[in-house]
Amino acid sequence: MNLATYILRRLALMIVVLFGVLVITFLVSHVIPADPVVAALGSQAPDYLIQKVRHEWGLDLPLQQQFINYMWDVLHGDLGISIRTNRPVAEDLLQYFPATIELSTTAIIMAVLLSIPLGIISAVRRNKLSDHLTRVFSIFGISMPVFWLGLLLLAALYFRLHILPGPGQLSFQVSPPPRVTGFLTIDSLLAGDLGAFFNYLSHLILPAFVLGFASLASITRITRSSMLEVLRQDYIRTARAKGLSSRVVINRHALKNALIPTTTVIGLRYGSLLEGAVLTETIFAWPGVGLYVVGAILFLDFPAIMGSVLAIAVVYSVVNLVVDLVYGFLDPRMRIGD
Amino acid sequence: MSKRKAITKIQSAVIAVVLIAIIVGAYFYYASQLAPVQKPVTLVIAMDTSSIVSLDPAKAYEFESVLIDNNVYNKLVSFKGTDYSTVYPELADSWTVASDGMTWTFNLKHGLTFPSGTPINAAAVVYSFQRIVQLQQPPSWVITKFGITNKTNAVTALDDYTVQIKLNAPYAKGLFLACLAFPVASIVDPTVVKAHETKGDMGGGWLLDHGAGSGAFTIQEWQRGAQIVLNANKNYWKGKPGVDTILIKELKESLDQRMLLERGDVDIAWNLLSDQIQSLKSNNDITITSVPSFSVIYVGMNAGSKPFNDPKVREAVRWAIDYNGIINDILKGSATGLQTIIPKGIAGYDPQAPFTQDIAKAKSLLADAGYPNGFTVDLTTPASISGAPTADIAAKIKSDLAKVGITVNIQLLTYAELLVKYRAQSLQMMIGRWGSDYADPDSNAAAFALCRTTGPTDTAKQLAWRNKYANNATSDLVQKAVKELDDTQRMNDYKQITTTILHDGPFALLFQQVYQRAVRNTVKGFTVSPLTLEDFSTITKQT
Repeated sequence: MNLATYILRRLALMIVVLFGVLVITFLVSHVIPADPVVAALGSQAPDYLIQKVRHEWGLDLPLQQQFINYMWDVLHGDLGISIRTNRPVAEDLLQYFPATIELSTTAIIMAVLLSIPLGIISAVRRNKLSDHLTRVFSIFGISMPVFWLGLLLLAALYFRLHILPGPGQLSFQVSPPPRVTGFLTIDSLLAGDLGAFFNYLSHLILPAFVLGFASLASITRITRSSMLEVLRQDYIRTARAKGLSSRVVINRHALKNALIPTTTVIGLRYGSLLEGAVLTETIFAWPGVGLYVVGAILFLDFPAIMGSVLAIAVVYSVVNLVVDLVYGFLDPRMRIGD
Repeated sequence: MSKRKAITKIQSAVIAVVLIAIIVGAYFYYASQLAPVQKPVTLVIAMDTSSIVSLDPAKAYEFESVLIDNNVYNKLVSFKGTDYSTVYPELADSWTVASDGMTWTFNLKHGLTFPSGTPINAAAVVYSFQRIVQLQQPPSWVITKFGITNKTNAVTALDDYTVQIKLNAPYAKGLFLACLAFPVASIVDPTVVKAHETKGDMGGGWLLDHGAGSGAFTIQEWQRGAQIVLNANKNYWKGKPGVDTILIKELKESLDQRMLLERGDVDIAWNLLSDQIQSLKSNNDITITSVPSFSVIYVGMNAGSKPFNDPKVREAVRWAIDYNGIINDILKGSATGLQTIIPKGIAGYDPQAPFTQDIAKAKSLLADAGYPNGFTVDLTTPASISGAPTADIAAKIKSDLAKVGITVNIQLLTYAELLVKYRAQSLQMMIGRWGSDYADPDSNAAAFALCRTTGPTDTAKQLAWRNKYANNATSDLVQKAVKELDDTQRMNDYKQITTTILHDGPFALLFQQVYQRAVRNTVKGFTVSPLTLEDFSTITKQT
C-alpha cells in the first residue's frame, strides 16, 4: 500500500469515527435531565415564551428528526447556530481555536524541548542524583493540579515579582492587531506590530508553561523508561564494545528507537491539549476552545456542544495520523509504502 | 575533537547566545514601551461577562449585558443614582396619564440626536417598541404584559415629539414607569438599525455586538472571551463622560480579578468573593463599595404534599433556621437580612423580621403538626447561585434542621436541571434566587404570592405555583395592587401580602444579596446599583 492510499484509507475511517462520535454526543446531550430553553431564558420566563423558543430551536421535534436535521446540516457544512452566542458554531470555533492552538503548540514545544533531554539524562545517569531529581520532578508535574500551579505562578511571578504580565492575551494598553488569521502571533507580524507581538509572547509564557508542565513530566518519564529499555539492547552493547563514545551511542544509535513510544505520548498529549484546557484558560483568561466548550455544556448549548466535539474529534484523528506517519521517519521498518 | 569541529561548535554557541540576546532584548525593549496610559483616560473593569448572549437591548437579559446597555442607550425614563423609588425624565421631558389610567402621553425632549445625526423623536420610540414586541425575546414580557404586543397598535406617534402608549388596563403608575426604566425599553437609532437589517431580523444580528444608542458610551467592539470596549460619546447630551474609554475585561476567576486590582492593572473588580472583599478592606489603595441588591435567596417548600402542606411545619422550619449564622459566618458581609418578600430599596419593603433561631418553638410547632420526631426531606440546590454559596448554605440548614429532628438529604444539581424540576413542581424543598426585573413591588409580589390554582391552568406559574401554594386572598391583592392608582392604598395592599406570606407562605426568605465592588481609590464617582444598572458616565479617574 502506498502512502497516498494509506492516508485516504485513514481519512475514510475517520469519517466513520466522527459519525459514531456525533451519535453518542447527540444522545448523551439530549438525555441530560435539563431543559436548554429554560436554562437560556431563565427561571422568570413565562411559559408562552418557552414554548415559542423551543419551537424555534426545533427541540419540540422527535429526537430522531432532530438528529437527521442536524446531520443533514453538517453534511452541508452548517454546524448550526450557538444558542449561547447566537452566532454560527463554525464562526465561534474559528474565533476560539486559534488561541488554543497557539497555547497548546507553545506548551508542547516547551515540554518537548525540556523533557527529552531530561529523560535522556535521567536514563543515562540512572540512580544518580540527577535521575532522582528528574523522577521527583516528574511525579510533581503529574500530580500538581494545573489550577493550583497556575495560580501559584501568577501570584509569584506576576503579583509579587512582576516579571511576567497578568492574565489575558495582551496588556490593556496594547490594541490587538487586525484579525486576519486569528493567530495573534501571525496577525501582529502581518500588521508589523512588534509591540503587540512581544507583548503577546510575554503573556503566552506562563500559561504555556503551566499547560505544558504535566506533559513535560509524562514525556520525561516515558523517554527515560524507553531509553533505559533501548540502552539494554545487544546492539548498544556492541556499539560500546566497538569503542564508540557515549554521545554517539545515545544520539546516533539509541535515541531514534527510544523516541518511538515518546512520539506516541507526545501525539496523545498534543491532541489532548488541543481539546482546550479549561482550567488554564480560566485562570489566565485565555479565550480558547476549552472555555467555549465548557460554557456550551453548562448552557446546554446543543449545537455548540456537537460542533465542538466534532472539531475536537477531527483534530485528534489528524494528530494520530501525523504521529503514525512520523513513526516511519523514526523507524524505516514502519514506513508506509515500502 | 578536531579543531574544525571545535570552531564550528563555538560558532554555533555564539550564534545561539546572540539570537537569545536579541529576542530577550527585544522583549524587554517593547515591554518597557508600555508605560501606563495617560490619555485617553481608560477605566478598566475586571468582570465575568461569560453569560452575555447579546447586547441588543430587545434581547439582553443578563446582568452584564443589561449593565452595558444601560450605558449605551437612553430610555424614556430612568432612575437616578441609588434612588429606585422614583422615576425621572430621560428622553421624555414629561408625561401625562388620562383619567382612564390606560392612555399615557410622553412629551419628548427637543433637539436631541443619536451619534449618527438621526433625531431622537417619536418615530424612533415607536420603532424601538415595535422591535420589542415583534422580536419577542426573553425580556419582552416586561413590556408586553401591559398589552403592548405585536397585535395591538399600542405605541403611536401623535407628532414628532409626542408618543402615546395605550395599555390594556389602568396599571399603577409606579409599575409601568419602573418597567419603562428597564433597558429592554431602550430607544434605538432606527436609521442605523434598519441599515443593518438582514432577512427581517430588525437589526438583531448586528445589534448582537454593536450599539445604536444615544447613551454616554458607544460599543467599539466585543472581543469575545477577551474584552468589551466602550468609547465615550463625546457629544452626550447629559455631558461628556468622565472617562474616554472603558475596557471590560473578561475574567471569570475572582483571584485573578483581585491580583490585577491590587497591582493596579484594573480599576474595578466586579466579582470578588466575600472573603476576598473582607481581606481587601485593609488595603489603603482600594475602597469597597456596596449596596443591598434586589436579589433574594430563599428556601422553597412544596406545600402540595406532606409534610409542608401543614403551615405549622413551614413555620417550624422558619423558626429553626439560624439566619445570623448564614449571613455572618458564610456570607461575611455579602448579604443583609430579609424575611419578607420585597427587598429593601423597593417601595413596599416590609422590615418585619420576626424569625430568629428558636429550637424549642420549632419543635413545639412540629409536635402540634403531628411530627414530634421530625421527618426526612430532600433539599435540592445548585452549588452556587449568582455568587451565593448555596451548597454551603444547604449544609448549614441541614445542621439547623437536624436540631429539631428534621433529617435533610442535600441533592446538588446544576441550576439548569433544578429549574426543570422546579417548574414541574417536583421539588420537595429547594434553595432558589429571585431577582427583581424592575424596581417595583409587583415583580416580587406576583412571583411569591400570585397563584390561584396549583394545577396546570394557573396563568402565573411563578414561585408560589412551583411550590404548590395557592392563595386567592393574596392573589386578589396582587392583582388589585397592580392596578391601584392610589399609591398609599397600593402600599397597604403589599403590606397585607407580605405579612400573609411571611407566616403562611411556602418560603423561608434567607437574605438579600449585597453587591460589593472593589474599586481603586483613583476612581471617583462610582456607585453600585442594586439592579446592576450602574451609570458609568459619572465616573472619573485620576491618572
